Amino acid sequence: MIPVIHTLNIVLPILYLVTFLTYVYDFVEDKSLFRNAKRLFLFITILIQVFYLFARTIEFNHPPITNKFEIFTVLAFSLACCYFVLELITDIRGTGIFILFLSLVFQIISTIFIQDLVSVPEVLRNRMLGMHVISALLGYSGITISAVQSLLYLMLYHSLKTKKYGLIFNRLPNIEILEKLSFNSMIIGFILLTISIFIGIVWLPEAFPNFSYYDPKLITTALIWVLYSIGILLKLTSNLYGRKFVNFSIAGFIIALFSLILGNVLSSSFHTFY
Amino acid sequence: MNIILVSINHKTAPIEIREALHLSNNEIVDFIGILKQNYLLEGLILTTCNRTEILGIPKNTILIHDKIIDELINFKSVTGIKKEHFTSYFSCSAVKHFFSVAGGIDSLIIGDSQILAQVKEAVQISEENKFVSYYLNRLFDTAIRVGKRSIKETIIGEGAVSISYAAVQVVEKVFANLYTKSALIIGAGETAELAAIHLRNKGVGRITITNRTKAKAEKLADKIHGEIIPFEFFKEYLHNYDIILSATSSNGYILEYTDIKEMMKKRRYSAVCIMDIAIPRDINPITSNLDNVFYNDIDSLKMIVDQNIKKREKEIPVIENIIMEEMVNFFSWYNSLDVIPAIKNLRSFFEQIKEDELNKIRHKVTEEDFVKIEEMSKRLIGRLLHNPTLKLRQLSENGRNYEETANSILLIKEIFNLNLEDK
Repeated sequence: MIPVIHTLNIVLPILYLVTFLTYVYDFVEDKSLFRNAKRLFLFITILIQVFYLFARTIEFNHPPITNKFEIFTVLAFSLACCYFVLELITDIRGTGIFILFLSLVFQIISTIFIQDLVSVPEVLRNRMLGMHVISALLGYSGITISAVQSLLYLMLYHSLKTKKYGLIFNRLPNIEILEKLSFNSMIIGFILLTISIFIGIVWLPEAFPNFSYYDPKLITTALIWVLYSIGILLKLTSNLYGRKFVNFSIAGFIIALFSLILGNVLSSSFHTFY
Repeated sequence: MNIILVSINHKTAPIEIREALHLSNNEIVDFIGILKQNYLLEGLILTTCNRTEILGIPKNTILIHDKIIDELINFKSVTGIKKEHFTSYFSCSAVKHFFSVAGGIDSLIIGDSQILAQVKEAVQISEENKFVSYYLNRLFDTAIRVGKRSIKETIIGEGAVSISYAAVQVVEKVFANLYTKSALIIGAGETAELAAIHLRNKGVGRITITNRTKAKAEKLADKIHGEIIPFEFFKEYLHNYDIILSATSSNGYILEYTDIKEMMKKRRYSAVCIMDIAIPRDINPITSNLDNVFYNDIDSLKMIVDQNIKKREKEIPVIENIIMEEMVNFFSWYNSLDVIPAIKNLRSFFEQIKEDELNKIRHKVTEEDFVKIEEMSKRLIGRLLHNPTLKLRQLSENGRNYEETANSILLIKEIFNLNLEDK
């Protein structure tokens, strides 16, 4: 199994690169040959990565969340997966390159630095922890995609306001759609983040004797959750729309990112594994 | 191939001359009668606002372009038209020009979406007047295929190439579901009408017209199934509209910055598209500084049009390749038509030899033997000609191997000294 895992570790960034390039080609060219094929490339890449992640879990007897570089491949996967679901639901294919670029970068870093860890702390072998981390990663992928869609909204808005009718104007869907995509991604991210928090609250006190509700990571995650729930509520009550909403989405993502970094830097609690 | 074509179009003549020679459907029918009687075996007349083209196969081999031109000028009873305003084509060049017209690359606006329908209509008129037979039928089918392939295989017909359509393109970049949106058209002239029709075709939910002359507004509203509001009060209702399109002939601004600012306040700053396609402008351009106001005037919309025209121009070489492919196919088919007369002549040639030889022995053998010899010679010729006939028929049926067909026919003609009749 290990040779297969090593081969897939090399193959995955290549697959991401090919998928990314097909999305780029289709974005730049009118009536490209890859209009439908690019989705197939993405599907195959996701499928192979699912196999790769399962193979690692079985072979090393722990979910691939025990170090940063395992997390990176899961992050690449969750971003691609969230985008794929979004593309299938909405059939809007013009924003893929901006999201798959992130997946490509994460996968390349992972491929270069990932190691075959067999001996890891016992707690990291726990399936509940796996579900907790993976749902958190998928949740953060959702809000990342929401922020990317919001950024594209602002780019198109700028293009329309300054009357620069170039590639952005020609290839991106309209700003209403981008706002909708951003909101849908936020909803997906929020639901998964909620699941992750729920699993964490139920399971963590049992697993860690030194569990504390004042853990910085717990507090920042809770604050992020509250922030997004307020945003979603305002959006649903039509008080937050258009540019205000996309600005909120980008600000929310930046706050979430810095909170996570700060939480990790300041924290030396039970919530730190590597 | 004896095809001739005379053309007067936007490249060869100014609009007033093209207009003077434009033929109505009734005139086309009458002129077909004249052409049939005097000049052409079969043909077609294509007439649009930018061109009049007459294509056909002449009754004899003399080039009759000038006669047809004179006949057209006489028919329309116009003066001041010179021969230089026309271009004449013959054979391959005629076919190529006709295919270029059908493919939309000879149009004033490259990729004009109307031209294919106009070619089809011209073909239909010719058919109804029994002015089309075997050869031109195939040519017209091929021309229509060129037009269809141009649309399907290239982006020649994509993107807005008129100001009013470019305005709609911008609207589509702002709003997703146009059927939930409402538009206000200020003005009821030709430009306003065109834009209103585009918006209606794109499915905009509610279209309202306002115009200084109420009767004109009502007429346009009827045409596009819209509503009207009095021009005096339209500013009070501005906030109800997601799209505002202005195309009046007013000399000053009819909507100022403060009007739009007030409107945005009432709309709670939700997005609005303002398209000012009037010259001089109707809406103060400073309004574009307001958040969520997507303001465009003729200059900015023209940028989209120019961009799309450039994109279409890039497709010309691709369409020229399509035309070349279809020309090769068409002429291969045409040349393969030689096969049938070749088979007929070859068989007659052998039959003649058989008859001559049988006549020589008719009185030298018994009646019973003569019948046997006659049957034997019939079988012999049948077997000798079986393979050549089969091979030529195969070439004729697929119509693709033009060179092989032509060489085979030439060889047969030479070695048996056959004189093939013209097609």
